[in-house]
Amino acid sequence: MAFGAVVVEVLAALGFSWARMTIALIISVIFSLLVGIPAAVNRIAEKIIIPVLDVLQSIPILSFFPIALYAFIMIHPIIGPELAAIFLIFTSQAWNIAFGVYEAVKLIPREIIEISKSLGLSRWRRIFDVYIPAAFPRIASNLPPSWANGLYFLVACEMITIGEARWRLFGIGTLSTSYILSGRIFEFALSLISVMIAIILTNLLVFIPLMRYGERYKFEERAAEVPRVWFEKPLKRFREALGGLRPERRFRVPSIELPKLRLVSKIVAVLLILLAASYTISAARPSFENLLRGASWILNGFAKLGLINPLVMIGFSLLRVSLAIVIALLWCIPMAILIYEKKVLENILIPTFQVIASFPATLILPLIAKLVVDAGLPLELGAILMILLGTQWYILFFLVDGMRSIPFEEEEVCRVLGITGLGKLRHLYLPRMLPSLVMGCLVAMGGGWNTLVVAERIVLEDFVWDVGNPGIGRILSIAVSMGDIPLLVASTIWMAGFIAILNRLFWRRLYEKAAELVGVAR
Amino acid sequence: MSEEKEAEAAREALLELREIVFSYRMRGGGRLQVFDGLSLKVRYAEFLGIAGPSGCGKSTLIRIMAGLLKPEKGVVLFRGKPLEKPTPRIGVMFQNPALFPWYTVLENVLLALIHEKELSREEKIERARVFLDMVGLMGFETAYPAELSGGMKSRVALARALVAQPDLLLMDEPFSNLDPLTAISLRREIETLWQNQSLPPSSVVMVSHDIEELVELCDRIVVLTQRPVKVAGIVEVKLERPRSRRSEEFYRYVDEVYTLLS
Repeated sequence: MAFGAVVVEVLAALGFSWARMTIALIISVIFSLLVGIPAAVNRIAEKIIIPVLDVLQSIPILSFFPIALYAFIMIHPIIGPELAAIFLIFTSQAWNIAFGVYEAVKLIPREIIEISKSLGLSRWRRIFDVYIPAAFPRIASNLPPSWANGLYFLVACEMITIGEARWRLFGIGTLSTSYILSGRIFEFALSLISVMIAIILTNLLVFIPLMRYGERYKFEERAAEVPRVWFEKPLKRFREALGGLRPERRFRVPSIELPKLRLVSKIVAVLLILLAASYTISAARPSFENLLRGASWILNGFAKLGLINPLVMIGFSLLRVSLAIVIALLWCIPMAILIYEKKVLENILIPTFQVIASFPATLILPLIAKLVVDAGLPLELGAILMILLGTQWYILFFLVDGMRSIPFEEEEVCRVLGITGLGKLRHLYLPRMLPSLVMGCLVAMGGGWNTLVVAERIVLEDFVWDVGNPGIGRILSIAVSMGDIPLLVASTIWMAGFIAILNRLFWRRLYEKAAELVGVAR
Repeated sequence: MSEEKEAEAAREALLELREIVFSYRMRGGGRLQVFDGLSLKVRYAEFLGIAGPSGCGKSTLIRIMAGLLKPEKGVVLFRGKPLEKPTPRIGVMFQNPALFPWYTVLENVLLALIHEKELSREEKIERARVFLDMVGLMGFETAYPAELSGGMKSRVALARALVAQPDLLLMDEPFSNLDPLTAISLRREIETLWQNQSLPPSSVVMVSHDIEELVELCDRIVVLTQRPVKVAGIVEVKLERPRSRRSEEFYRYVDEVYTLLS
């Protein structure tokens, strides 16, 4: 195909994908306002909304597929798939914005609310004069991570296979995959480069201006602007644009403690979501009996899975994710120290890593899968590599930030005492790094579980990548392609439940210990 | 309450607290009794000061007077009528200027005029300008709060509290976050505004932990005790205005307040 035609095709596909993502993002913002504001101002709403959101955000996106199928595709054969794709992208974008709105409204200074009451602003006016403007900066700063998250799952959302139902939508995800599967490396590379440019432009032209505009909506004092040389401003903007791409922001690090979520409220939330799901599925013939039948049918999946099987699968998956994290640590710790010690390198390496990290790894996964299969390498290696691609950046950027927080005085003390080399690593760097190391691993782990649903098994048209050995992501993917909803629900609950328990029992405690060690108040 | 009684109450005091009971719920289920039958009157055209040990509930008192908090028992009478909810007739100023960061100085002040239905937009802007001029902020209408110094923010908060021409201005530690020089000039301005008969407000209530500031500005100073709060005593300050902090009489009043406090 002529070069010009390829460019046109790529640009058109980009346009379609970007349009889908934009619509999903707008819906996400509206959803977040509708859900986040009531949760922040009303205690009863808070008790219902927050646990439901918390459960929803821990559900891997694949598990939303059947709902998309039943809710949208049944409606209309042509618009349905589009709506389903937008809905799926929405499920990857919405939750962190919703939590952002909730936290921002919750953190409005008490006096602001009191003044608005004493001025006689009605509830309705308060929404527009106080809550929405107060939430604006948080929404703006959550747009880039949400966008990145949506991009990450774009491939999966544009190519949907559920049981018999199969369709693909025209977009950059499907296009680049079909390029690589048909061996058109040049076109594939071109599509990747155009995605990269589009990401940078979107951040530069849309998200960064919005974030800047939101600056003045913040309650904190703003530092006085220092006059600058003319070229510093565009340079700074560019760096900010890259900063907006940093992957760790994709994972929510709460700025306030969520109200202590009792186990009971979480279980209630899970049941509510299950009920909603069974309702959607039985919606064709809504009746109480059908609802019950739907629910019991869904819960059948647990019987199918048994008790030992899921544990084995989770064990294998945990091993893969852990290995990927260990590999990431092996190169990220030295790299973070190198960046910290050589300021010159920092200016080159950090932007480079940020650009690479902003790239949705899922677009390269087909390439890796094909290379591993063609070269006859162990499949497990491919899976771990894919997980690594999705997780290593969290660790690197957390570590770099952790190193930056080292007080200058401690550095000087080391110099005065003549502590260098390994001693410095042991006595200064590692302890200082520890909280961000734990946080980075926690966040990487979260990201890692998400990548599992593509790393362990992914169906790309006629090419099936399958790691072979058991895995919880693999069983999810199998359940989706067989259209086995009970199996899907059961494996989702196993996976989300295990992640929740792991976070609570292991990572959170570890983080608190680490923070205690260096006296960082949480 | 009968109309006669209402009229009588309205004659006596602009704002009256009668037998106020109020407590905070604490974590763990206990209750922290703040007021257990506190009564207090704010007369017409007076500058009333409130002093008390820190943490005793002065800010809570201001919020009850503003109608922001409802007492569990007792009534708050404003112009003889029970105060059910906050009203534009009572202006409030907190230690934190609490400006809306997303609105300009002018828009922040205009926000206080949303209930003045009979005014056109131009008239509202005109009125807001007059008040901004009065607090010395002419020319800053289009600035955003983040661009203002602490003293200027307090001035905007003052203009916003006064622009609806309230009968009563409530101030909770209005000067404690300001540098001494700014505080001096702002105190002067508030005193001048209050003394001017044709301008709002009729009465001012100010909570402060700066006793000298209270003696300088107030006609009467109510000294409160620790929780549950009672009135330890009321000091009537009979000094010519503007008051000089250097006189011996001034310090006699200061000492009197300190004696009641300890």
